Amino acid sequence: MKRNLWVARIVIFLTLAFLIGPFLIIIAAALSAGSSLAFPPQGFSLRWVIAVFEVKSFRASFGLSMFLAVFGTVASLILGVPAAYAVTRYRIPFGEAVRMAVAAPIIVPGIIVGLALLRYLVIPVGMTVTLALFLAHTALVLPYSVRVVSASLENLRPDIEEAAVLLGCSRFGAFARAVLPNIRGGILAAFILGFVTSFNQVPVSLFLSGPGVRTLPIDMLAYIEMTYDPSVAALSALLAFLSIAIVFAAERFLGLSRYV
Amino acid sequence: MSDDYVVLERLKLAYGETVAVHDLDLAITRGELLALLGPSGCGKTTTMRAIAGLLAPAAGRIFIDGADVTYTPPSKRNVGLVFQSYALFPHLSVFENVAFGLRIKREPKPSIDARSRAALATVGLEGFARRNPAELSGGQQQRLALARSLVMEPKLLLLDEPLSNLDARLRLEMRTELQRLQLETGVTMVFVTHDQSEALALADRIVVMKDGIAVQTGTPEEIYNRPRDVFVADFVGFDNILYFRNGMLTSDFGSTDTGEELPGSDALAWRPAEVILGSGPMQGRVIGASFAGQYREYVLDTGLGKIKAQAPADAPPHTIGGLVAFELPLAKAHRLPGTGK
Amino acid sequence: MLTNKTEALALVLPAAVFAVAVFLIPVCILLSEAFRSDGSWSIAAYVEFFSKPLNQTVFFRTLKLGFLVTAVSAIVGYVAAFCIVGLDPTSRGRIFGLVVLPLMISPVARTYAWIVILGRTGIVNKALTGLGLTDAPVRILFTETAVFIGLLQLFMPLMIISLVSAMENLPRDAISAARVLGASWPQVFIRIILPLTREGLVIGGTLVFTGSLTAYITPAILGGAKVLMLETLLYQRVTVANDFLSASVIAMILIVMSFSTYMLLKRVAASKRGAQP
Repeated sequence: MKRNLWVARIVIFLTLAFLIGPFLIIIAAALSAGSSLAFPPQGFSLRWVIAVFEVKSFRASFGLSMFLAVFGTVASLILGVPAAYAVTRYRIPFGEAVRMAVAAPIIVPGIIVGLALLRYLVIPVGMTVTLALFLAHTALVLPYSVRVVSASLENLRPDIEEAAVLLGCSRFGAFARAVLPNIRGGILAAFILGFVTSFNQVPVSLFLSGPGVRTLPIDMLAYIEMTYDPSVAALSALLAFLSIAIVFAAERFLGLSRYV
Repeated sequence: MSDDYVVLERLKLAYGETVAVHDLDLAITRGELLALLGPSGCGKTTTMRAIAGLLAPAAGRIFIDGADVTYTPPSKRNVGLVFQSYALFPHLSVFENVAFGLRIKREPKPSIDARSRAALATVGLEGFARRNPAELSGGQQQRLALARSLVMEPKLLLLDEPLSNLDARLRLEMRTELQRLQLETGVTMVFVTHDQSEALALADRIVVMKDGIAVQTGTPEEIYNRPRDVFVADFVGFDNILYFRNGMLTSDFGSTDTGEELPGSDALAWRPAEVILGSGPMQGRVIGASFAGQYREYVLDTGLGKIKAQAPADAPPHTIGGLVAFELPLAKAHRLPGTGK
Repeated sequence: MLTNKTEALALVLPAAVFAVAVFLIPVCILLSEAFRSDGSWSIAAYVEFFSKPLNQTVFFRTLKLGFLVTAVSAIVGYVAAFCIVGLDPTSRGRIFGLVVLPLMISPVARTYAWIVILGRTGIVNKALTGLGLTDAPVRILFTETAVFIGLLQLFMPLMIISLVSAMENLPRDAISAARVLGASWPQVFIRIILPLTREGLVIGGTLVFTGSLTAYITPAILGGAKVLMLETLLYQRVTVANDFLSASVIAMILIVMSFSTYMLLKRVAASKRGAQP
């Protein structure tokens, strides 16, 4: 049995090395003092980490990505929480069709959505790219919001709302006072999942970029094609840390994995 | 009539196309403890939800205290409901669960405090105010649900299977609690149960329901001793029900000549204790025997199907597989009219 | 109270209308474009698309990479999942967290790392030349191998997660029982593990397969213009040649493929629920 344990450890180590190793390398490369991307790094410095903050386009696209991730997810929750409530608490006519419509953005590849919006909303109607991006990101995150919030609603007994109504609440009051406080965790989990999904999203945003309007991942892709310096490595490392911090905090305080 | 606190008039309840309750007429007297008794799916819980206002009737009217409340929202009916699952608010403390309704009514703070504490004291949960409901035992949770309803001083308290989730000791405790409550506050109570012994022990009056119809209404004694039909008889412990036709006792399995004419009835029922065991014109094979303290209970396989019988515990036991003579004494038979089979 | 249909519809309608308006209608118009030529309906665009050798190559390459990535991640996934499930609960949770972690990190960052590793002056080439195995750097970047490696790293966590959850539901002593009854390890795998984890395999496989088919970032960064896949081809056709007909055809292919795998997934999930009384 001892031998088996060692085999298992080695297998797990190799798998994790393949999955996570590249990050460690990119972090090392980001801390290089040299002027081109290389590993092992040539000396140690923070110059590329600092350089990231000095690239103007990165600052603008980071702002846009943040905006989309925050407000797109909030919008998806405003649409998604009532939908999740209806899906879990009522038998809806055409329920399956409604479910499919809401889930569609998961099935349809993002690049197609982006292209379709560009061709039929941005070009002919004259919608701004930012608005199209906002709509696309909201649609993209909507299925996750509905699913995660539904999961936490399903864990909640429906009769506590009836109890609240019998104690004098209106229908909406019962939702606000008896349901909402109990699905706060699920809503926050949906927000974090939506935020991460939207922030890291590439295909949807590919076609939806205009002068000065680019999401951060798209900007990074463009930057990679032009230059070969470690600043993108530094940015990647920073973003990785940001995601890890968010997810770690969420898991620590909410038990995010319960909802996903 | 003025003593009727709740009146249901030709009440019809339905879920979509499925009718759960047909034209129910029922008057509940002020201060009484009424049981709706029946198997699952008989419409008893549906009826209770309609009284609370959680389900809009498809037809008919509901009066509470003389006022037509058919279309009054549940929040305006001043009806308390203790859910089978208790439906406690998991995000609120024990105290806040009780105070919930008072806060919605925007009672003054000192009054909320005093009344909530009093309600908790009534059910013996004073020391638990700051706990989380999930930290309470099943019995405590139920008493909390009760306190949450009582604090609103409802004139009508509805209870859904109030004893079903409790173990034997807690059942007795809860039973006493409910009876004390009824005496002290004079609140009208309606409870739903599928357990006949629970209904018989607790209620002033019982409504037996079947397939959305009230088949018999009466005091526990009436229901127990004079079931109106085969369904009620079966429900209150008449385990041996046979049909009488043309001088013959018949069942789905066979028939036997009684040698007597019994005019005017076509179903006869005996409780196990009424079957005479050890002598008689008929014979059966013992296929089941169990000891129940005061008596032994036997299941006999007979020409009339299975017959349940009891014998005193001190009588010599019959062994499984053996043949036993028995008699279904016609003098003790309960006649069930109008069951045409 | 909870049977009010108007109320239910009022609650879902905003989300449904939004999804249909922002999403379904534009996508459907896009898909219909390839069927319309000169005002009438035809499949000429499809015929033309598949008649071009480059498009055929890209189509089959995408399928091939999809299958390869799925197969390899299934094999590695089984071994890894089996080892992870065997751990004590605490370290199992930790390792599981480390497997999930990459999913939360920007795919651009995840893929970019491979440039550092596989590039001309990357680690692999330094090692090869350093060991004297080659004189000049080997080209790995911008080959199918690089895309394959990138996709594998990107999607393998999904497979491992599905298989670990499936294996956690294995009856406790099923494997020991089979061993006691004289089954060899391959027999145990084929007769016990595989049938009991089939559902996890299908779910993981579907996620990995659709993910690989519709990947953009990995082929864009690691494949470039030399190793096009369907999504990078679509992007190129639109940006370079304004060729919306091809884009529409590719979109249809992608949607049909991911939709049918999605339906397969749903069927499997449904049949599992049906099996439980």
